Amino acid sequence: MIVINFIVVGLLLVIAQTTVFMPQVDWLPAPDFYFVLVAFLAYRLELIHCLLILFPLACFLDVLCGTVLGSYALICFSGFFLLKTANEKLPIREPLYQIPLIGLVYLAVHYLVYQLLNFLQPDHLVPWSWSPMCIRTLLVMLLAYPFFFFFEKVRTFSVSNLLPWNRIRLRTDNRRRRRT
Amino acid sequence: MKKKSSRKRPSRFRLFRVIVLAGVLLTLALIFLVSTLGSQQFGSLHKLILEAVGPLQKTVSIGSSTVNRFKSEYVDILQDSLRLREKNKQLVKQLQENEIKLNRSREAMATNASLRKLLEFKNSLGQQSKLAASIIGKDPSTMFRSVIIDQGSNAGITKGDPVVNDEGVVGQVFAISPNYAKVLLAIAPSSAIDVLLQKSRVRGILKGDGTLTYRLEYILKTAEVQEGEYVVTAGYGGIFPTGLRVGVVSEIIRKPRGMFHEIKVTPSVDYQKLEHLLILHQPNLAEIKQLEQP
Repeated sequence: MIVINFIVVGLLLVIAQTTVFMPQVDWLPAPDFYFVLVAFLAYRLELIHCLLILFPLACFLDVLCGTVLGSYALICFSGFFLLKTANEKLPIREPLYQIPLIGLVYLAVHYLVYQLLNFLQPDHLVPWSWSPMCIRTLLVMLLAYPFFFFFEKVRTFSVSNLLPWNRIRLRTDNRRRRRT
Repeated sequence: MKKKSSRKRPSRFRLFRVIVLAGVLLTLALIFLVSTLGSQQFGSLHKLILEAVGPLQKTVSIGSSTVNRFKSEYVDILQDSLRLREKNKQLVKQLQENEIKLNRSREAMATNASLRKLLEFKNSLGQQSKLAASIIGKDPSTMFRSVIIDQGSNAGITKGDPVVNDEGVVGQVFAISPNYAKVLLAIAPSSAIDVLLQKSRVRGILKGDGTLTYRLEYILKTAEVQEGEYVVTAGYGGIFPTGLRVGVVSEIIRKPRGMFHEIKVTPSVDYQKLEHLLILHQPNLAEIKQLEQP
């Protein structure tokens, strides 16, 4: 349930990002909602759930945005694993430090993916510019707190078992009963 | 026995008294009626009655008028204000509805004007088959420049089809699904279009640089290029028809080294207002061969 809910949320975010929040083709303050979701997954959800959510999310992004297939998958997965590793290795796990870390990872991942794509396909990408990327990083950081709150609500809703799967599940037998 | 006789006597006496009183009253009433009707004068009795009733009437009248005044001053105002508030609500609602209608009609007019321009442009293209489409999504990334349109292979769109609007060249289809397609905008760095400088007839390659300007490459320094010169499609590759507007030369950077000019071109298309597009069907090889045969 949690996987399906977050896939739907991810899809809606990508659609919103490519339509409502993108009034012009070169709109600078376009918010990268998907990366906030990637960060939330890295911080809050189990790895297997995250992977099941990230695959379709990266696929949606590759289909709806960009011209080089796989570039968004690279951004999503590298960002996710970087954030997850940092979250596990770093001694401080307070939200105050987590949000700047999201910004830092967002900037670093975009820069590295850009350099890689530029190496593979020179002159096919818009020239790198720090100022728009810094604005977008700032946007991601600003959006992180409210979106984490929203995602947390979605997560709580998803695990609250509105559909009583546990009750309707077929149970074979009492596992603790002694064999005679 | 004594007691019984004493009870009967007052009852008879009372009956007698009542009859006498009634007779007197009737007689007096008759006299009053006859005298009043006969003389038709406002007598002292009338005056007495009037004097007695007058103050009461006055009091009631003043009270009534006070109540009426109070009603007109306060209750009616309250009712009026309630009615006005209701009316105001209705009017505000009506105004909002009218504003929505006005906005819709303005939007419809703007769309109509845009589509009319596109239709005129479509008619000006002649016999070449073309298809109208609308943009439904824009690429939010900083690395690429593309849009998604609401027509796909079911409508006959193929990969590589040129995309234009009434202002000029917009880009090229680079990915298709049955009902949708992705268009690589001409301002994307991976886009390259064969163009001509309209006046000097010099040929070059127009490339995007991610911003809202183009770069015109491979124009030899020996060629005379002027600012303000129109850039149109060359039509050599057979993809774009010849003579479609692309932009205007805005800056020529003459470097001491190298063989070519560095030229900047301002697009004729306003990329910030892209909405409706025309997809020109690229003639396939079979069609070209058919055309070539006599």
